[in-house]
Amino acid sequence: MNENAVTVRNVSKNFRLPQERANSVKSLFTTIFKKRNRVIKTQKALKNISFEVKKGEFFGIVGRNGSGKSTMLKMLAGIYQPTSGTLEVEGKLVPFIELGVGFNPELTGRQNVYLNGALLGFSEKEIRDQYEDIVSFAELEQFMDQKLKNYSSGMQVRLAFSMAVRAKADILLIDEVLAVGDADFQRKCFEYLANYERKRQQSSL
Amino acid sequence: MNNLKQRYRYAFILLKQLVKTDFMIRYQNSVLGYLWSLLRPLFLFCVLYVVFVKILKTGGDVPHFGVYLLLGIVLWNYFIEVTVGSLASIVNKGDLMRKVNFPRYVVVLAGSFSAFINLMFNLTVVGLFMWIGNAEPNRYAILFPLVVAELFIFALAISFILSAAYVRFRDIGYIWEVLVQVGFYATPILYSFSYITSKSSDVAKIVMANPLSQIIQDARHGLITDKTTTLGGVFNTHYAYLIPLLIVVIAGVVSVLFFRKASPSFAENV
Repeated sequence: MNENAVTVRNVSKNFRLPQERANSVKSLFTTIFKKRNRVIKTQKALKNISFEVKKGEFFGIVGRNGSGKSTMLKMLAGIYQPTSGTLEVEGKLVPFIELGVGFNPELTGRQNVYLNGALLGFSEKEIRDQYEDIVSFAELEQFMDQKLKNYSSGMQVRLAFSMAVRAKADILLIDEVLAVGDADFQRKCFEYLANYERKRQQSSL
Repeated sequence: MNNLKQRYRYAFILLKQLVKTDFMIRYQNSVLGYLWSLLRPLFLFCVLYVVFVKILKTGGDVPHFGVYLLLGIVLWNYFIEVTVGSLASIVNKGDLMRKVNFPRYVVVLAGSFSAFINLMFNLTVVGLFMWIGNAEPNRYAILFPLVVAELFIFALAISFILSAAYVRFRDIGYIWEVLVQVGFYATPILYSFSYITSKSSDVAKIVMANPLSQIIQDARHGLITDKTTTLGGVFNTHYAYLIPLLIVVIAGVVSVLFFRKASPSFAENV
């Protein structure tokens, strides 16, 4: 068995950013025919990155805005493909790139729980079984049949986090999502994660 | 093996929820709600009946021309709903693509299934008018599910190609809009096919080789009246069915290959 939960070897990521130069109808036509003239700028987001994360280890990445932290996480999550190099991930990985992904404001809280649950890989039955827990953790008992657009942003985030912590993962990717809700709720989240950490052998980024 | 099963489990769960969500949102904030799924084809029939059967009389010698038109339009509308709906589906879900790694094809498949549910409602209304108008379904009606399956696959294949291409080239939206207009008149939907055969048999062959013409005419032939001109009738041989079937198969294979090649970079390009 591999000791590492995550192995990253010489990973580079370039983004190709086409420069929009068609600012008039005439230049629009000329750019179509003179394709070579179109400048494509290559943004080198990550260059030759290598690291390993052992099982059961906490691993943190710090850096300035735009230094490529999120790009790294997205490649680990399989959302972006690396330009070169290899990534190996052992075990089930759940990314919290952002909370409440796929939440639809026109649906009720209850319906959103099922939709978001599906994105996290839960069947309807699995959600039904832990529905009470999800709602009470988010402290939203009276609001579940209201449409999400009538929720305050704090309420939305609480519901989203309550969903996210359900995910059964070997590896947890967390991208600046823990600054959530009021002080009370934050403490609850950290407790939950610390607990989770002890119970399961896993790694967080 | 287990991994493979797990992957399709996820796709299935997600597909189910996306179709459900689409269905829940579709008639939101309308008083009559799901009833509209039945009322729309009902009113459509009334319009078709008044315009084409009573005023313009484009039916010629086709019996049950009202419901004959309705069936054609319902099948055509399904094709349009799937393809036009899926065109921007990947781009519209761009936010999701950038944050979750889920099988991309689920989005297109979900649009296709919700349109299919709508088709079932529409066909119910068609059935109602067949019963009222004493249409003459015959033994070829057994083939109707196969014809619908062909339509489902063809629409889905086109949708995969369009939605993946639209991520890079937004022009596809306008091109498809034009092609849909051309297709509407190039397919025997509003007029009787005998009108074309009487002008030129070569044109008739070209029009009929289009899978959509073949599908619509076969459906009418089985369900409404066996006087409907079908592909076999135009070419005088049943081997001619190989043409539209081959088109559907090629579209299917190309769409899968193309979509698989394009989908890993959706997150970056939308």
